[in-house]
Amino acid sequence: MNDSDWSRLLMRIGSAEDARDLRGMRNEIYALSAACPASGAIDGYYRRLNAAHDAIVRRAVRLAEAETARSGIGSPPVPYAYMLFGSGGRGEQTHASDQDSGLVYEDRPERAEEAETYFAHLSGTVVRMLVEAGYPPCEGNVISRNPAWRRSLGEWKRQLDEWFADPTWEAVRYLLIVADGRCVAGDERLVRELKEYYYGNMPVHPVIVGRMLDNTMRHKVLVGVFGQLLKERYGEDSGSLDVKYGAYIPMVNAVRLLAVQAGLHETSTLRRLERLREAGWLDEDEKSAYEMAFLLFLRLRLMTTERTEDGVRTSNGMVSAAKLTKDTVDELKEALRIGKRLQRVVRKRTLGEPGGPHRGGRT
Amino acid sequence: MLKRLLLTSSLLLLAFPAMAFAEEPAAATLDMGLNTIWIMLSFILVLLMQGGFILLESGSTRMKNAGHVAGKTIFTLGLGTLVYWAFGYGIAYGGDSPLSSLFGWGDFFYNPAIAAGEGDAFPPAVYFLFQLAFVLISLSIAWGGFAERAKLSSYLIFTLFFAVIIYPVIAHWIWGGGWLAEDGAQDYAGSTVVHLTGAIAAFAATVLLKPRIGKFNKDGSANEIPGHNQVYSALSVLLLWVGWFGFNAGSALTIGDGFLGYVAFTTMLGAGAGAVSALLISWAVQGKADITTMLNGTLAGLVAITASCAFVEPWAAVVIGLAAGVLVFYSVKFFEKLKVDDPIYALSVHGMAGIWGTLANGIFATQELAEKVGVGQGGLIDTGSWRQLWVQFESVVVSGAYALVLSFAILYVIKKTVGFRVTEEQEIIGLDMSEHGSYGYPEQMKKSRVFKAGNGIIP
Repeated sequence: MNDSDWSRLLMRIGSAEDARDLRGMRNEIYALSAACPASGAIDGYYRRLNAAHDAIVRRAVRLAEAETARSGIGSPPVPYAYMLFGSGGRGEQTHASDQDSGLVYEDRPERAEEAETYFAHLSGTVVRMLVEAGYPPCEGNVISRNPAWRRSLGEWKRQLDEWFADPTWEAVRYLLIVADGRCVAGDERLVRELKEYYYGNMPVHPVIVGRMLDNTMRHKVLVGVFGQLLKERYGEDSGSLDVKYGAYIPMVNAVRLLAVQAGLHETSTLRRLERLREAGWLDEDEKSAYEMAFLLFLRLRLMTTERTEDGVRTSNGMVSAAKLTKDTVDELKEALRIGKRLQRVVRKRTLGEPGGPHRGGRT
Repeated sequence: MLKRLLLTSSLLLLAFPAMAFAEEPAAATLDMGLNTIWIMLSFILVLLMQGGFILLESGSTRMKNAGHVAGKTIFTLGLGTLVYWAFGYGIAYGGDSPLSSLFGWGDFFYNPAIAAGEGDAFPPAVYFLFQLAFVLISLSIAWGGFAERAKLSSYLIFTLFFAVIIYPVIAHWIWGGGWLAEDGAQDYAGSTVVHLTGAIAAFAATVLLKPRIGKFNKDGSANEIPGHNQVYSALSVLLLWVGWFGFNAGSALTIGDGFLGYVAFTTMLGAGAGAVSALLISWAVQGKADITTMLNGTLAGLVAITASCAFVEPWAAVVIGLAAGVLVFYSVKFFEKLKVDDPIYALSVHGMAGIWGTLANGIFATQELAEKVGVGQGGLIDTGSWRQLWVQFESVVVSGAYALVLSFAILYVIKKTVGFRVTEEQEIIGLDMSEHGSYGYPEQMKKSRVFKAGNGIIP
């Protein structure tokens, strides 16, 4: 794999004619990724991979606009932004990724009805095209064709108010999803305004951070008190480590929680770590330790057991420990310990000193 | 009136020393009576442990087999009683034979005296009942290896042999004045005689039957087949725990100086230690505190302390229980690695812990207690001598080997003649339906669903 292959691919995605073309491009992403990089370049690898995924979504939105126009519904009545949530929002998609998406459009009361009709059709078309291109819809129904995730900016703000005011388990989950939202196509200004409103609400609802902590810390880092890996014991994945939920997600959650408290707009975990250091929430040593651990988890995520069902790539997030070298296992154990430490640090800071940057070095 | 009262009371006062004298023989009768009540109570407690086994075995297995699992326990109690009465007891405790050190001979179709004889500590019938309850426990342990796939007929046939030539012979060796008893083998209430013997039979059965459908994958990895009711399993452990006071403290047989209280005390400590260490080790190693492991650890603590409850000091009882809890955790993993399917963990709980408990005597027994019980001598720590540990080791190996060879031979013959395992279809439908024609949980088990499961439509 080299950079020129990738830029050629990006250009071709930009000129794809229909969903079938996009599917072909997606298969080329697989082919290009087949030469998986070793260690050093892992973040660059994810950047390229996600740029390609983004390009496909962006192209799908463009094609859907054209198709909507052809079907007589017209062109967008107001500016809008197409958002990605989840790993897509964080720029951390792997080869097997699904669609977590949403849509926000400008408020114009006199055109509200028209806008709703238009964007319902548009998002339905985008989702359908991406499904055809090999991106299965999100199982939790966090997707732009679901009216709950497709609103005008004003409606979004009212929805956020409701979630903030009544932080039930579900509302907190949605708020955490929105934190990872990123504009992939359309008018970025709308997403920025949405985020600003979101972070403006945080200090008004100090209780929310504690609720977010409860919600995100339930995934345990899979390392035992003796520093051993906690592997699956039964079933076809026995002997495997759940890298997704036992390593990657706990770290994503912990870093997001700090980022939300610091009011950062960044969505990528690595960028969040960088910005947390700049803002004085983490010192350099901490930051680089977490970064190293997270890079390893990103690398291992690429090694998870993948299978192809009906032509769609899926992954269960498991890595067979037998496939890892002794050195990698040692590295992994150390990284998991660091992940566990991060969880402790986040818990302490979240409960101890809400809202303020931490400047006292390590806790 | 007053005069008469004074007269009688003064006469009574005069007569009092004489009255006390006249009651002297009655003290022995009182003793005998108390012993009888205690043994009878212990028999009832041990018999009630079968309620524990019913809940343990059905709780640890699937719904479709629940009626069968529960019902066959009661049936084999009935059959075991008759067989042990007719033959087993005579082999274990019957009179002298030319080979007295190997087995007893006599008292077949046992017809005990209706009351205790002059100078007896208790009547013979109550002793028979207590011993009977033990063989029935050992039998129920053996069924652990049969669970969820053995034919009903194999239960019937195996009971005939187990209660006549397997269990009674080992009981005779260690408790009936046989050759291991002469060597001083210490097994107070049966870590070896009852638990190891039953577990070895379970081992032979589960090896010959092969694992349940779906327990292991083609690549050798194991699947979890969770039991259908964890509350049953927990209740079963409570029932067994309570019953165990009849099992261990009852083995004192006589009230005497109240030594049975000490035996019950060490038993309690061993069980508690097993529960604690098993939960903690599973928590530490797997990251989750596993309930099943904790329940197994409690039972393992009880099994292990069974041999040593009368021979060790309180601290040693705690150590024995703690070690048993850890042992059972790793033992379950070990058997799974060997691809031996042990549905209710009989091999680990009764086998491994039984071995450990018996050997533990050789380490922790004190000279003082060994002398008090009158069997063997103190262990390594108290006396510095390896002698008792060697005797314990010998009794485990010899008893285990005997039980293994006979169980394996008998079950192998069953397998080759009448058949040991139900067909694949029957196993999938469940033994409730295949062996008995009705479900233990009729409302929950719709026939159609189960048949579909057989076609792989509903897993």
